Amino acid sequence: MEENQSKSTEQLSESRFQVSRSTLLIDSWMGRIIRLGGISVVVAVFGMLGFLVSQIFPLFSKAKVEPLTLVDFTQASSVAWGEDEYGELPFSCDTKGNITFRKAKDGSLVKTWTADFKTTPITLEGQTTPAVSIPVTAIKTYPRDGLVLLGLADGSVRELKISYKITFAKNGIRELEPTVDLQYAGKIGELNGPILEAWSVKGPEGKLYLSRQQKDGHDVITGRRLVERKGLSGKAKVTVSEPFPIAADVTDLERVLVPSTADSILVIRKTGEVRVYDNSENTFSLMQSFKPFGEAKNQTIAAAGFIFGNVSVVFQGNQNEEVVWSLYPQKQADGQLLRRWGKIHDCETLAGVGQGIFPAAGNKCYLSVAGGRMQIRNMTNESIRWEGAAPASPIQQVVFSRNYNRFSVLCEDGKLYRWSITDHHPEASWSTFFGKIWYEGAEAPDYTWQSSSGSDEFEAKYSLVPLIYGTVKGTFYALLFAIPIALLAAIYVSHFLRPEWKNVIKPLMEIMASLPSVVLGFLAGLWLAPLVDTHLIPILCVIAILAPSALLAGYVWSKLPQPVRRRVGAGWEFAYLFPFIVLCAYGAWQMGPLIESTFFTVKDLASGQNISDFREWWRQSTGLSYDARNSLVVGFVMGFAVIPIVFTIAEDALSNVPNSLISGSLALGASRWQTVWTVVVPTAISGILSAIMIGFGRAVGETMIVVMATGNTAVMEANPFNGMRTLSANIAVELPEAAAGETHFRALFLGACCLFALTFIVNTFAEILRQRLRERFKMN
Amino acid sequence: MASPSSDNSTPKGEPWVWFTSVGLLIGLSMVAGLLGLVLINGFSVFWAPPVPTVKFKDGSEIVGQFVQRRVRPNSPASDPQYERQYQIGLRELNSTSYVWVDELNIIEEKIVPETLGLERMENGPAFITPKTIVDAAGKPHAMDATAFAMIRAEVEHASEIRERVLDINQNKIGLVNAEMEETRISLRRAEDRQEPTVVLTDKLKTLDTKFAELKKEADEISKLTARAQLEGVDAKGRSVIIPFAGIVRAWEPNRMTTMDRIGLMFSRMHEFLFDAPREANTEGGLMPAIFGTLVMTVFMSLLVTPVGVIAAIYLKEYAKDGTVLRVVRICVNNLAGVPSIVFGVFGLGFFVYVLGGTIDQLFFSDQLKYNNNTPVFGTGGLLWCSLTLALMTLPVVIVATEEALSAVPRGMREASLAAGASKWQTIRDILLPASAPGILTGVILAMARGAGEVAPLMIVGVVKLAPTLPIDGLAPFLHLDRKFMHLGFHIYDLGFQSPDSDAARPMVFATTLLLIILVVCLNLGAITIRNRLRARFKGASF
Repeated sequence: MEENQSKSTEQLSESRFQVSRSTLLIDSWMGRIIRLGGISVVVAVFGMLGFLVSQIFPLFSKAKVEPLTLVDFTQASSVAWGEDEYGELPFSCDTKGNITFRKAKDGSLVKTWTADFKTTPITLEGQTTPAVSIPVTAIKTYPRDGLVLLGLADGSVRELKISYKITFAKNGIRELEPTVDLQYAGKIGELNGPILEAWSVKGPEGKLYLSRQQKDGHDVITGRRLVERKGLSGKAKVTVSEPFPIAADVTDLERVLVPSTADSILVIRKTGEVRVYDNSENTFSLMQSFKPFGEAKNQTIAAAGFIFGNVSVVFQGNQNEEVVWSLYPQKQADGQLLRRWGKIHDCETLAGVGQGIFPAAGNKCYLSVAGGRMQIRNMTNESIRWEGAAPASPIQQVVFSRNYNRFSVLCEDGKLYRWSITDHHPEASWSTFFGKIWYEGAEAPDYTWQSSSGSDEFEAKYSLVPLIYGTVKGTFYALLFAIPIALLAAIYVSHFLRPEWKNVIKPLMEIMASLPSVVLGFLAGLWLAPLVDTHLIPILCVIAILAPSALLAGYVWSKLPQPVRRRVGAGWEFAYLFPFIVLCAYGAWQMGPLIESTFFTVKDLASGQNISDFREWWRQSTGLSYDARNSLVVGFVMGFAVIPIVFTIAEDALSNVPNSLISGSLALGASRWQTVWTVVVPTAISGILSAIMIGFGRAVGETMIVVMATGNTAVMEANPFNGMRTLSANIAVELPEAAAGETHFRALFLGACCLFALTFIVNTFAEILRQRLRERFKMN
Repeated sequence: MASPSSDNSTPKGEPWVWFTSVGLLIGLSMVAGLLGLVLINGFSVFWAPPVPTVKFKDGSEIVGQFVQRRVRPNSPASDPQYERQYQIGLRELNSTSYVWVDELNIIEEKIVPETLGLERMENGPAFITPKTIVDAAGKPHAMDATAFAMIRAEVEHASEIRERVLDINQNKIGLVNAEMEETRISLRRAEDRQEPTVVLTDKLKTLDTKFAELKKEADEISKLTARAQLEGVDAKGRSVIIPFAGIVRAWEPNRMTTMDRIGLMFSRMHEFLFDAPREANTEGGLMPAIFGTLVMTVFMSLLVTPVGVIAAIYLKEYAKDGTVLRVVRICVNNLAGVPSIVFGVFGLGFFVYVLGGTIDQLFFSDQLKYNNNTPVFGTGGLLWCSLTLALMTLPVVIVATEEALSAVPRGMREASLAAGASKWQTIRDILLPASAPGILTGVILAMARGAGEVAPLMIVGVVKLAPTLPIDGLAPFLHLDRKFMHLGFHIYDLGFQSPDSDAARPMVFATTLLLIILVVCLNLGAITIRNRLRARFKGASF
């Protein structure tokens, strides 16, 4: 044959074997296209992971701080400064109260304003005393409000409003024109001596002016309130309160801290003691006194500052101390829960003497200066956003811009050092997402997820731990319910059920797997949850009776005489069991109320009567909550999603066990159960494990069921009768509302990454186990 | 497997065999229970049962359709007390459509033959005893033997007119509105560029008059039936006047024959499938949601099939076998196990913000600039939903295709190559046709998964009420940027976000039924094709 063929081949022309060029061309092109397509799909799959990671990367980056041009006010004695909203036209005040405006861009002088306050000329007995200038003795600026407060030598204050008019020059260039207007002039205290320090804050009750003066070598703090009320006519009526003394009992005064809410005043003494005076009506009374660095230590306070939100203060000491005290509810000796100051953070510090604490606006960051270095730190998570060298000259005032993109340092030599900040996620750090954090107003450090609230000063809390806990909890209850059922069914179907039934059962299970989770969630939330709420004990009874009744049926059957047993063909057990089980379940259901009234009778708090109600019993005897939409409901319904997957994979693994092993076992005289239990299951164990893992992966990522069947509260309780908030449900609920690029948005991406990583790792393990199993069967 | 041994002693472990069968029983009863629950509740939504008049101990009465019975909340579990829910309708008078009544207070439920059921455009249904019919000409008619036929005729007439008005409002005025919007954008652009605007303002004026004309026409038409109304009394004896223009359907629940009821059921099903929703989605039909789901699913399968098949052919036929390929294969398999919500997050972050944002900046910068920064593709929409789900179902198609390709007997491949076919020719003419059923199975499974998925869609562009369909008569006909309605999301939104959960309940069950039928049919189709495929290749070996 072969010889004949080769002979005839020789006779044929060469062209017969030439493939047409177009075929070759198409072949090579299609090869290229498929390769390209295939590789790009594979790359896209990995690109997805890369993209998710790239979205969370910015969360963990530090702040970028870069110096901007320095503005030299060339005033040797600058003490305070301020700027417009865009930081284009800063001004500085010298000790005499003169204000100089300079362009930030090139430092050119725009305007100077000279303080010149004169006494009113008095005419007495025909002689006129000429007006005399009153020197400025105290200066304070509120840059973000555009206010300058000057204290004068005669005991009065002048409040100046700095405003900027925007004009457009002919060539379209924006120009700013600053104006200085006198907004308030008056006395605060009754003393005529020079004012040493002055404050003006605007609280909800009105404006509060404070001044510090000296009398007989003692510091005297006086306050005065300006209340503006809009009358019916729309005209504002201003009432000025009588001056009132504040902290008259304080000696050795070191400094005074006034929060911008004007509801309390912190007075710091030279001894290191902090005294808190709380506002009520027009008096400030002592509420609390404490020593920030410890009661035993008489450590002086080098610097202190309120953090944005006005409920926390950072104290800096001389010997590497930096602590945060905050107002939060504390249990008093008499058992009352009152808001008092307490230490919430003990920070790592820069080495050296503390030189200042300057808060940022809009977030909980602050600049801490010590020993010639500066750090931008986040108060809440204690992370150091940036560190750099401080200017050599003594720092007078540091101000952060309103949107935390700039900060500037005014030094005594009149130089304004300016820096730009790029820090999109100052509140994010590893500990924010995974650590216990002591938030302002909380009683203790905790894991909290609370991403939004109605208030502006609200600090979002992004701990993923309660969400991970919720995910694990939901998964646990789902697997607790699903795995036994799925594995039992898999064993039965693969080795005991009549083979012709398999072709019906497996598609049914596949249909179960395909049920949309939104349908399951809807039924769980609106149908099952109310049912479980009213019939919990009967349902639990039914679940509890199933396994024993089946075992009992099997036992009874095995004791029956052989002719009867023969009637039940092998593989038909489930059909015979069905009516029996239904009967048992019905009995258990009917028993439910009896059991409830026997074991779960409690006194109803409302009516005082004894009622038998498990829900009330659970609340009273465990102190835990009971929700209608609870973990049991979720676990049961998630079973619909998990059972078919676990069943299908486990069944595959079990029925792929080589027949030779089974036949061998049976031939040696083992019963069918002994064969399955001692030969089949151990052989297929890795496949079963892989089935459980894949079921785990499915339960972890399940979204709609959890969204709809639980209350979605992020609590960390193992209580089976309340809900949870899982990572996936959290994303589904919050992502539509999160603004792109914000910390909240990226925190949700981080949650998605956790889910991705978790399922990917578990599934990979499962896949490796399955491949190993396949190879083992191959060898057999 | 093994039959019980023939000697008299019982084989060891038989009780455990019985024990394992419990797993199967529970699993089966769960599926059966769930499907049964959805079927019964879903179909009963369309069924019109008799409407009883319920008498209470205090002498008061209500007329309403029985809805459900439950244990009264807060009644002790050991001594449960029941209450019954009735749909009494007439929300404008009763302030609520559904009432719960204590079973102990009910004296009797009697069937009054005169009771008339009315399904209305607003304020839920009404159950009244009719007294007078006022026809379109304003002439009153007393109730007699032909009264119900007359009511039906009036309802029919009113609904025809409603259709005509709707046609004007939706189609014609919609067109004018779209044109106006476009003109306004062009106008703003022209103003900004200091170009002449006369043509545009004139056009806008013409459109305005056209709009007013159409509005007037619609008003004229709706006046044709404005005078026709039905007067009757409700259970409390209050007189009720219902204009025919607001009645969708009338039936006599206590006089109907079973055939009538079946007819009514089909009429309601028709409305459910082909009409638009009304009353905050709690009544009317589901057409936009069905349409949205179908368009999205089909578009998704059009995206996923070629990509998935090419990737599978590459992995199976072109890629070199080795560790890298094994890793890739594991990763692709695992992608099927990644939670769907993660795909949604990716879809929002990458497709919507990165891709959509870029497209908007490149091609729709004018639109952005002159339309209040309203994004076109930079927000959720049909395209992004389809892409997200395509990515999610990609592993399903790849795995199915790979399996189908592996199932093609080696002999066929070798025979083709031996006959001189090139690799591509073998793939095109031998492998793909042979594995087509397998690929189809994969695609159908992907469609089933895509049709039932909600979580990622919530993030990338499904809405509870879309004013427009993704496909319509306006160029370019297929609007990939539009948001759309989806059956699954409809269930979530109605069931959990609806202000009136009682009123929403029937609609949710009906939607659930529809979605389950859709998904189960797709799955059964896939299973059937696969079984045929298996049978075909059982004997096929060379």
